[in-house]
Amino acid sequence: MSGKASSSQLSSGLSGSGALSHVYIPYLPLRCNVPGSRGLFYDDGNKLLLSPASDQVFCWKTVPFDPMVAPTSDSLTEGPIVSIRYSLDLKFIAVQRSDQEIQFWDRGSGETFSQRCKSESESILGFFWTDCPLCDIVFVKTSGLDLFAYNSESKSLQLVETRKLNVNWYVYTHESRLVLLASGMQCKTFTGFQLSSAGIIRLPKFEMAMAKSEANNKPVLAAEDIFIVTVYGRIYCLQVDRIAMLLHSYRFYRDVVVQQGSLPIYSSKVAVSVVDNVLLVHQVDAKVVILYDIYADSRAPISAPLPLLFRGFPRSNSSSLRSNREDTESSEVNISDHEAIIYGDDWTFLVPDLIFSVSNQLLWKIHLDLEAISASSSEVPSVLEFLQRRKLEASKAKQLCLSIARTVILERRPVSTVARAIDVLVSSYSHSIKTGNYLKGTKAGKTLPSGMPHTTGPKLSADSSASRVDAIGKSIKYESSAGVDSESPNRFLTFSNSDSEEDASFFDSKIDRGKLTGAETSVSEARSSLVNNPLDANLSEQQESQLTSPAISPDEMYSFVFAPVEEEMVGEPSYLVAIIVEFLRSANLEKVEVRPNLYVLTIQLLARSERYAELGLFVLNKILEPSKEVAMQLLESGRQNSRTRKLGLDMLRQLSLHEDYVLLLVQEGYYLEALRYARKYKVNTVRASLFLEAAFISNDSQHLAAVLRFFTDFIPGFRDTSDHNTYYRILSEMNSYIAA
Amino acid sequence: MGLASASTATTGPEAMQLCIFDLRRGQNEGQELDKILFFYPADLPFSAQFSVIGLSEGLITFTRIFSPEAACEAIEADRHSHVFYEAEPDIWMVMVVEKSMEYEAKWRTDALRKVLKEVHSLFVMFHGSVRAMLDKDPGGVLARSHLYSFVMDYLGDFLVGKKLLMPSFRDSLKERGTVQMLTVGREAAIEVQSLVRVLESSAGNLPCHSLILFQDLLVSTTLSPDDTVNLFAYAVLRLTPHVLSSGASSWSYLRKGATANVSSSSILSDSGTVPEQYHGSHNNSSAGDNSSRVIRPLKLDKWSKGNDGFLATDIWGAEPSTGVSATPTVFLHQSEERMYLCAHQHKSLTLLFLIPVSSVLNGEQGLSTVKQQVLENVSLKLLKVEEKLSKGWGGENAYHVSGYRYLLVDGDRNVSRASPTGKVTTLSKESLLALSKLREEVDREKSRAQWDSPGHEKELEVSIRAKNNAWVIARVTRGKELYMVLEKANETLLYASDAVEKFSNRYCGGAFSLN
Repeated sequence: MSGKASSSQLSSGLSGSGALSHVYIPYLPLRCNVPGSRGLFYDDGNKLLLSPASDQVFCWKTVPFDPMVAPTSDSLTEGPIVSIRYSLDLKFIAVQRSDQEIQFWDRGSGETFSQRCKSESESILGFFWTDCPLCDIVFVKTSGLDLFAYNSESKSLQLVETRKLNVNWYVYTHESRLVLLASGMQCKTFTGFQLSSAGIIRLPKFEMAMAKSEANNKPVLAAEDIFIVTVYGRIYCLQVDRIAMLLHSYRFYRDVVVQQGSLPIYSSKVAVSVVDNVLLVHQVDAKVVILYDIYADSRAPISAPLPLLFRGFPRSNSSSLRSNREDTESSEVNISDHEAIIYGDDWTFLVPDLIFSVSNQLLWKIHLDLEAISASSSEVPSVLEFLQRRKLEASKAKQLCLSIARTVILERRPVSTVARAIDVLVSSYSHSIKTGNYLKGTKAGKTLPSGMPHTTGPKLSADSSASRVDAIGKSIKYESSAGVDSESPNRFLTFSNSDSEEDASFFDSKIDRGKLTGAETSVSEARSSLVNNPLDANLSEQQESQLTSPAISPDEMYSFVFAPVEEEMVGEPSYLVAIIVEFLRSANLEKVEVRPNLYVLTIQLLARSERYAELGLFVLNKILEPSKEVAMQLLESGRQNSRTRKLGLDMLRQLSLHEDYVLLLVQEGYYLEALRYARKYKVNTVRASLFLEAAFISNDSQHLAAVLRFFTDFIPGFRDTSDHNTYYRILSEMNSYIAA
Repeated sequence: MGLASASTATTGPEAMQLCIFDLRRGQNEGQELDKILFFYPADLPFSAQFSVIGLSEGLITFTRIFSPEAACEAIEADRHSHVFYEAEPDIWMVMVVEKSMEYEAKWRTDALRKVLKEVHSLFVMFHGSVRAMLDKDPGGVLARSHLYSFVMDYLGDFLVGKKLLMPSFRDSLKERGTVQMLTVGREAAIEVQSLVRVLESSAGNLPCHSLILFQDLLVSTTLSPDDTVNLFAYAVLRLTPHVLSSGASSWSYLRKGATANVSSSSILSDSGTVPEQYHGSHNNSSAGDNSSRVIRPLKLDKWSKGNDGFLATDIWGAEPSTGVSATPTVFLHQSEERMYLCAHQHKSLTLLFLIPVSSVLNGEQGLSTVKQQVLENVSLKLLKVEEKLSKGWGGENAYHVSGYRYLLVDGDRNVSRASPTGKVTTLSKESLLALSKLREEVDREKSRAQWDSPGHEKELEVSIRAKNNAWVIARVTRGKELYMVLEKANETLLYASDAVEKFSNRYCGGAFSLN
């Protein structure tokens, strides 16, 4: 979650580096060297990096990623450590001591107990904690799975269920809750279980494809060749086929596994990361990374392979808050040259987006450079589609989208191209409205990337559903989940839902504390029964944006695209009108409401080029939806064109804005009509003197008499007002003049 | 010659006379003939022609003493009505119609004047002003030959049987010189505008204009109201699918069966050559050469739809080098620019787009490149728009409102809408005569108000109980006019005025709902 914040903050200082890459690692690593370390373990259930030393274990939080984070430690008895994981509620530490035994510590009481294999013939391959309601921990053994629940009374594990099958090796990721068990001679036969809070789902057994080498010796699949990948809430498995030099992909559905096609690989060693739902295939030998956005059916990479780069040095960081900190500590955090070897042999890729250098004990987080990616393609609609799907750096993506939209219009690209770009933005907005992801009232455009003090604290546990009552009193519901980067220990993945595209729009909800004060906050539990903590104030890191979706509302389109473009554009405004028409078409198609300000702009543009006939069509056909603002602009623009002015008047009447209508009628000199209308609709706020004045100006004593009579008859006490006296005198003078 | 005999056939007792003359010409005695630019019937003896023109000129000169700006509008003689129209400064058009013994209000002056106005506007659109032609060829041959073929082609549309039927009281629920619009929903309107914008942008940087019609109704225009009216009139006369599909007649309420009477109209329009009097008689230049090159945009049955959907005609001749038919050109009233007129048709949708002649290089060749480019860009949208409009199209009687026979005119936009012709014919003669008379009154009030207080539009409300107990109603408010006949209405005025109120609220956005 911090990735969003810190990366966008850092990138403000980094974007100028000019290095050609689409993926980068910010300079600052998390250093995890402690004296006497006995190796490092990654606990992906809790996103912790663990380093056991002689009698204790050091533990770094990797989420949110902060290179400055200080480790916590727990004491541990001496002994061999095969693997180590904290329980999901962080109450226990489990340490696999051997292939026969796992030992448990109760962190509260300090008590310990052990669990051993029943028979010598089987051995423990590994274990993981689970939020499955049936059990708390799962042992993966050569003979199958053992599911245990912790019994707090007996303070021991109870075997709940056993799944018998031969297992050669296994792969598990906590974000997918999926364990894949390999069996067979070639280890290419797989059985999968998903143990989520929704229960246990057994996947059908399936075989992975493997090309045969010439010598007819069958290759054996290794655990390193299998990656479980979660993008857009869907679960995939990627399998390296070294002989065919292909990366096969499989998608998991509840009841079927479907092979989805293959990606080429250019390196015998391949690693996979997922950053913000973008699949990164590291071609380790070639030292390049290829990006895929597996959203649509396309298997084409987003851009050409480019190297992964280190970016940013403390001195180039302009972020005041951070640079201060970095300056003071920069002496400690300098990395030496030998530490900064890209794709070094000691690199380990942690799920989903971390890189760990074993020999130097450094941990980095991978970032996408959205700016570079968007600059690398000229296909504007697809770039926008890509950016609109980014959640991690939503604010950045949004800014990029807005700037791209401005640019294509200013460059006067063909209307059809711009129309497609607009379609992308509008449909993305419409989708985010439907799924409730769009945070209304975010002033993204005004949020500067750095130096802005914010009172926002990101919440650590996601999976909450918070609804907020905003100023208008309209309740907007934010459904949030950890999204696919799954930093939350409580991640809830509905396997059946992984099919639906909805999942792709899950997002991390961060709620602006400033906005919440004074507003009613209610936290409801929608799909999961999880405790949440929306405001975690102890986080020192400043958040620069609470934006969770790069979707752009029509209002923002107006403020950040059309209005600025209109100012910058020179010459005939007809092109901009064409673009606005395309936007209206798109908005109408997606049933997105357009605010009057855009209509007002359209009127100004048409009136400026004196295209009054077209303006008339726009109004009569209600392309410009009637509103008071629109009517007023028509009246304003109609100063040079009486027809347009009338359209404005008619609109006021049709909107039943009686007072304005009467007032304007009088101003136009139609005081008798105005009187009649005022009588009919009981408008009595317009001052009598206005009518009398207008009648006087028309120099028609009959009319003046009529108006005077009208008010005498219908306004009680009018006879005693000064208006009456004044105009009565004027009238008599007029009459005597005529008589004379 | 053929024309002479044909004209004789049409000049019955109820004959109509139409002349165009220039007051600046033939000032000297003996040269009076020089004034005459056009006369129908052409075979009328010069003496008779002179008497019409002499009277008209006399009246114009006389009335100008009192009203220099707007001279004579009409003369009501015992047996004839003379309708005047000053088409261009000192160029007058006069129509003489015989009064009916039977009906008091057979003609409405303003309706007849609109005919004169229309033919002149169309002439100017295709050929430029008459004055400019006279300046170019002071002898007058050029102007005469063009006027002759143009006006005769135009009058051909009024032929029914062997008679020229000018608009009479039966056409009181029609307004010439206006455009009929298709009512479209917002979504379709946006699609149409999207098409218009793409069209505009696809011609590159050429400042082009467009006009889109669905059936005989206007959907969109980027032209000024005047130019829109002219092009719309021409499209409905010669270009829409109704006209092009032979035999079918336009149901547009302004147009009679234009092509239905091919045989009879040919009486007038077959006259490709100009009668003797128009060339050579008082001019010795090579007039014959000029007259043979007269372009006749209103000639019937000359447009056809090509395979590419573009409408083609050989009226404008062919380019000598390629043999390709030349593209028509028109003058825009507003910009006074000469534009190529390209017409494309897809099913019921007719698309007219205008490209400045000056901006197209290589003449026809360059133009055809532009046309193809435009077609490529818009064809998809064109299909979509046609489909959408067809779906929403209510048919010929779409704008019928049961119980009402109405005419709604928006003078500001030159737009009108009326009960379908078929429904108007159900009205009795009495109702229509009463309406015609009422309209004459309203016309008079309007023109009076215009002089009394320019810039201030009159409000007017008249309800008449006709002899047959029908209510005949006129309402004028701020540039909009509503005429209505309610034959099956109740006794009371209250009922009638309620009916108008309802209509106004429902169909006119409450424009006529006062009181």
